[in-house]
Amino acid sequence: MSIISIPSRRTVLAGTAATIAALAAPSIVRAQNGPIRLGALNPLTGAGGSYGPTMRRAIEGVVERVNAAGGIRGRMVELAGEDTQTNPDAAVRAARKLIDVDKVSAIMGTWASSVTTAVAPLCWESKVFLTTVSGSDTITKLPHQGYLIRTQPNTHLQIGKLGEFLLSLGSKKVFVLAAQTPFALPSQARLTEVLVAGGSEMLGGVIYDKDKTSFRSEIDSALKAKPDMIYLNGYTPDVTIVLRELYKAGYEGGKIGQAYAINQKLLESLPPEVTEGAYTVGPSPSVDSAAYKRLAAFLGKDDLDPYSCQCNDQASLVCLAIAKAGEASGPAIKDAVRSISQGPGQKVDDVVDGLKLLAEGKDINFEGASGACDFDAIGDILTTNFRYEQAQKGAFKLLKIAA
Amino acid sequence: MLTEIAQLVLNGLMAGTILAVPAIGFTAIYAVLRFPNFSIASQVTIGAFAGYVANVYFGLPAPVAVAFAFLVSGISGVICDEVVLRPMRPTGPLATAITAVALTIVLENVVRFWFGNDLRGYDLPVLRDWRFGELRVSPQQVENLVIAVIAMACLFAFLAFSRMGKAMRAVADNPTLASIKGIDAITIGRLVSFVGMGLAGLGGMLLGLDTSIDPLTGFRVILTVFAAAVVGGLGSIPGAVVGALTIGVAEELSLLVLDPAYRSAIGFVAILLVLTLRPRGILGERAF
Repeated sequence: MSIISIPSRRTVLAGTAATIAALAAPSIVRAQNGPIRLGALNPLTGAGGSYGPTMRRAIEGVVERVNAAGGIRGRMVELAGEDTQTNPDAAVRAARKLIDVDKVSAIMGTWASSVTTAVAPLCWESKVFLTTVSGSDTITKLPHQGYLIRTQPNTHLQIGKLGEFLLSLGSKKVFVLAAQTPFALPSQARLTEVLVAGGSEMLGGVIYDKDKTSFRSEIDSALKAKPDMIYLNGYTPDVTIVLRELYKAGYEGGKIGQAYAINQKLLESLPPEVTEGAYTVGPSPSVDSAAYKRLAAFLGKDDLDPYSCQCNDQASLVCLAIAKAGEASGPAIKDAVRSISQGPGQKVDDVVDGLKLLAEGKDINFEGASGACDFDAIGDILTTNFRYEQAQKGAFKLLKIAA
Repeated sequence: MLTEIAQLVLNGLMAGTILAVPAIGFTAIYAVLRFPNFSIASQVTIGAFAGYVANVYFGLPAPVAVAFAFLVSGISGVICDEVVLRPMRPTGPLATAITAVALTIVLENVVRFWFGNDLRGYDLPVLRDWRFGELRVSPQQVENLVIAVIAMACLFAFLAFSRMGKAMRAVADNPTLASIKGIDAITIGRLVSFVGMGLAGLGGMLLGLDTSIDPLTGFRVILTVFAAAVVGGLGSIPGAVVGALTIGVAEELSLLVLDPAYRSAIGFVAILLVLTLRPRGILGERAF
């Protein structure tokens, strides 16, 4: 007697027919049954390394909540995560892997404009939806065909606010020390515009290579111009060195930087006398919202950075857009996202509540931990609050939060 | 204009002297083991962090912490060489160099595993610069300069006067002849890894003293270190010093005509010029 059981002719025929039928069905139908795959592409290392891990955690939190509540229309969400290393080359390799191997329909949470600029073309060419926290004006002007939204205000808006703040401080002669980034020149041009309109003067700027270990000569050229305020438009590692060298050089004037550069980590790594008086401006999360409080409890922190809040909102928007469209593809998310992020629908601040309402056939308007999350036609955010702080004795003092 | 040039040359010499320390390590390893050991980047980082631990956790002053940095990177360099690079060496210098690049990435992430990505600063007062007329120089730079010069002087004395130092030069000059004379190439290989990587670590701490450190500290300087070694003559220790000073001053003086954003290009241009015009480097490749 044979120990191998040979299937009957009938079983073989039935099995073959089922296989052929499955293969013949449009791929979309096959995909509709499996899990929904999403990608998280964050700066776990490099200059954004102090934000990346919590950004990733925020995205994971949303996915866990969605899955715990039964998934999106019954389908579970699978998250594939990669590290950008805050480096465009590494980010492109990681994005290729997410798109080609993991077959994600959306990539969420790219940080640093150079990284987003490099990753965006891969996304729109592959019809993958990209959500980013990068601010450079140039990003939403890319020909992205709608496959990109950002929750971070653009440079034009951010620098405009910074300029107005400098005018309110009475700064008359401003100099810019900027790292080589896509927003270095547009920022300086915009700041000049605002300052000149307000009767102040832009003395000039130096764009430095942020990977150098010493900026003494760059600082010499800044100090030669005799500014009363220096705008430090770089990232934390280089701004740390620049602040230290400004102190050593005996500079006593004002200093201002973006909140992502002059942050808590920077204050901890420098003696208080070096950072004393430095101003920061940055987009402020909606600190009073239920979404913010929920995320803070989940991450176990009282004070959240704007990027983790934005990542929480991006993941929520993507999940809600998929639920609204009934399809987990880049084009479907692109077409549906504005119908759940803004408009007359019922306001929700939580992804699970939103999914429930959508399942009941209701319209929703998502407002998250970072703010209202309303987008214009090219993917820029419409409104946000700004937070103004000053370093005093090694800690930040909140000056104001204003729109 | 004249003061500006003087200040730039001064800045360049200060930067060059610090750069010379890891460049010597790189070139010494090349001279003896005959492959570019790019894992020096992560030993620079390890040294910077070892010095950080000594300075911040154990409260040691900077000059003592620097010695600790030398020791830790030196030991780590020997272990990495024994475990990873020596088994690769028979496959040729290219394969070993590529392995060294991979090793750098691994070590960088080991550092990250313990210390995270955050920036760290040494527990030192930030002092205002000294001013001499229009010129300024920071007390920290001067201290770094002194430490770097002492380290280099010790190395030169070691190579010139000690038995082991002479043996190292012999292997670098002619490995076959050295082995006929009974010099054990493996011991010398370990010694050069210890000294070379130790110097890298010491250089890493000196770089960090004036700035801040993170797991990418070494990675950021590796191109300049490599350029310094190539410009001076790969394998020549005095050459590494000359190369480092040349690159340091050239990078600073380039600011007179170039935008600072292009400063990194100087390293590449220097490598290109030297390889085109004088492939053996300024001082040729004699080890000493």
